[in-house]
Amino acid sequence: MSGKYKTSYKAYSAWNYQKEVEDLNKASEQGWQLMKGGCFHSKFVRNPDVRYRYQLDFRKIDDMPRYIETFREQGWEYINSTFNGWHYLRKLYDPSLPEEAYEIFTDRESLQEMNGRWARLAMSGSIILGLFALLYAVRMFRQPDLPALVLLLTLVIESAALLRGMFIMRNPESSRNRKGDGAFLAVFFAVILLGAGGSIVLRTLRPGFSTDQRAGSVDAPVTDNRWIDFKVHYPDNYYLDLDMEAPEAMTFEIIDENGEVVYSVTETSFQEEDIRLKLTRGEYSLSLSYKTGFHAACSME
Amino acid sequence: MKKSEPMSESYYYILLCLAKGANHGYGIMQMTEKLSGGDVIIGSGTMYGATGNMMKKGWIREIMSAEGGLERRRLYQLTDSGREALRAEIARLKRMLENAEEV
Repeated sequence: MSGKYKTSYKAYSAWNYQKEVEDLNKASEQGWQLMKGGCFHSKFVRNPDVRYRYQLDFRKIDDMPRYIETFREQGWEYINSTFNGWHYLRKLYDPSLPEEAYEIFTDRESLQEMNGRWARLAMSGSIILGLFALLYAVRMFRQPDLPALVLLLTLVIESAALLRGMFIMRNPESSRNRKGDGAFLAVFFAVILLGAGGSIVLRTLRPGFSTDQRAGSVDAPVTDNRWIDFKVHYPDNYYLDLDMEAPEAMTFEIIDENGEVVYSVTETSFQEEDIRLKLTRGEYSLSLSYKTGFHAACSME
Repeated sequence: MKKSEPMSESYYYILLCLAKGANHGYGIMQMTEKLSGGDVIIGSGTMYGATGNMMKKGWIREIMSAEGGLERRRLYQLTDSGREALRAEIARLKRMLENAEEV
């Protein structure tokens, strides 16, 4: 025998809680008794001399002493609760008792209530994610760029995953003995991390600046006055706000590292927001040419 | 909510077990099993949910047993509106039974 304690890092999705119960029962039979159950890891203690049967409950307990007493009356021991409202219970196994003695929900209504509580939560989550997805879809439509696309896809995938969980929880019979649950959860959380994290990283890698320049008067015309340099880390759509004003036409240009002009405007007065620029990876600079005093402001994201 | 909405089996038996006096959860469970000849069992999760919901509805209330000194226990007691709900359910069930006999 190895140690006296062990930690299991098996995770189960909410709609697969019966599988977790089965696994806890099996562990107990093999001499490992649950000390503390959790969403992502559970602690066990070695004790081959007892055998328990487990159950999981999901609810907001409004009266803990009453809850514990109600279960204790029928031989159930309350073990612990997870942060998100799952409660672990166990009862000493007695082979002379019928299987019903190890059920905590004994009518259809109360079982549906429990499944419904989780399903409602999953649905609210799915709706919230769905609304954010819609928001980003609108944004994508008006201002398509990679960080928004990544976040939009993440929101759609997670919203769909929660919706699927809700349907399984509502109709438990539709999915007996679901396999590959750990893999599903791993993907679920990986998508959150990679999607949300990736979107943030992509967003911070974008050139973000906001700057202002003015000259009261100039002695001689100035051409190609380099204003600001910036770097583009990945090809995407980038958005420029430009506002310039001068008595005589002035020129604003964006020049790439090969000296080629990728954007140019020559006007006496120009105000525009969200000018879409398709830029490839590389270094760029903003340049101004003017003959008179001027005012120019620009920002980019 | 419709006044005569059918009650779940558990709600019905819990109210029935309290009709003659206050009882604790375990007593209700045992009495239900006996009354129904083992057909109806009320597990702890069902019991906690049903008693909680019925307290919210005002059908039952919680009292502490006076006797026993140290062993004070939580008892459930039928309220007037709980008695009324039980009466209405029994009437509904009777009517259904009579209808069956008419056919």
